[in-house]
Amino acid sequence: MENPELLLGIPFLLLAAFGLFIAFSLFALPAEEGAGGRAITRAHGHPEPADYVIIGLALALITLIEVALYYVDLNFSLMVVILIVLSALKFMLVVGFFMHLRFDSRLYSILFFGGLGLAVALFTVVIATLEAGLV
Amino acid sequence: MAAHAPTTGHTLETNTGLDNRKLLMWLFLASDCLFFGSFIAAYLLYRDRNVVGPYQDELYDIPFTSISSFVLLMSSLTMVLALAAIQRGNMRAMRIWLVATALLGISFLAGQAFEFTEFYDHGLSLETNLFGTTFFVLTGFHGAHVAVGVLILLSLVHASAIGKLTEKDSLAVEIGGLYWHFVDIVWIVIFTLVYLIQPG
Repeated sequence: MENPELLLGIPFLLLAAFGLFIAFSLFALPAEEGAGGRAITRAHGHPEPADYVIIGLALALITLIEVALYYVDLNFSLMVVILIVLSALKFMLVVGFFMHLRFDSRLYSILFFGGLGLAVALFTVVIATLEAGLV
Repeated sequence: MAAHAPTTGHTLETNTGLDNRKLLMWLFLASDCLFFGSFIAAYLLYRDRNVVGPYQDELYDIPFTSISSFVLLMSSLTMVLALAAIQRGNMRAMRIWLVATALLGISFLAGQAFEFTEFYDHGLSLETNLFGTTFFVLTGFHGAHVAVGVLILLSLVHASAIGKLTEKDSLAVEIGGLYWHFVDIVWIVIFTLVYLIQPG
């Protein structure tokens, strides 16, 4: 193996990809329709406090993995990919559950992810353009 | 769940059927993505174009920043527990969780003040180099957002203590919570892109 550090990154990458898959799956699951078109999962319309604690622990664990990854001698490109996936996972957990976007009106999701998507697209183009020396 | 009535269970008499105050907060957060996006992009573009030091790899203290990140993440948990408490009509628990959130936010700000002081003592200021300029502007504006969030939290606690915030007003806590969680997700991005990913 020419780059043994690549091999080292595979478990992290698989773990991150699995987590992201779980997060997206939770978003995609059909939620029960409540009155007024709101999607609900539990009797009170939102997850229970125990669910929030579990998500909080998951966020802490992911942060721990991220920091551990920083100290592992890993191929830089691979590390970037894994860290971004883990970061996206934390982002989705907070937005989906703590901000209740998964349980709220789709309009909120459209507005927020519209703004976020616009920001990511705009600044990706800006960075790529300036890095390439086109302006 | 009477406490939930403003946001759930009934279609409101607005064009969208949603509460306009909450809609406005989501719109504000969407626009804030562009605000922070510009500073993050500027940081990523200019952090390695310094002609003089100090440089980021000489200054960053990852274990310390990791603890700060953990503190802010946990403040999101206490914030959502405050919302759950008011939605269940437990005002006392709500106040406790809100105060806990504010204290965690203040701890994060104290950590940031310590970090800024350390960097300054090592010769990095807003004017030293491009890294200093983009770093302080990005993290400084984030810190300002956290400070505003702490004020929002404390004003909610105060309103509740004097009886102006009742269990019927869970929407106010929910909107304050949206702002607080947004500050947290911005830090999730900053922690990864600014601190953890450092090209050779």
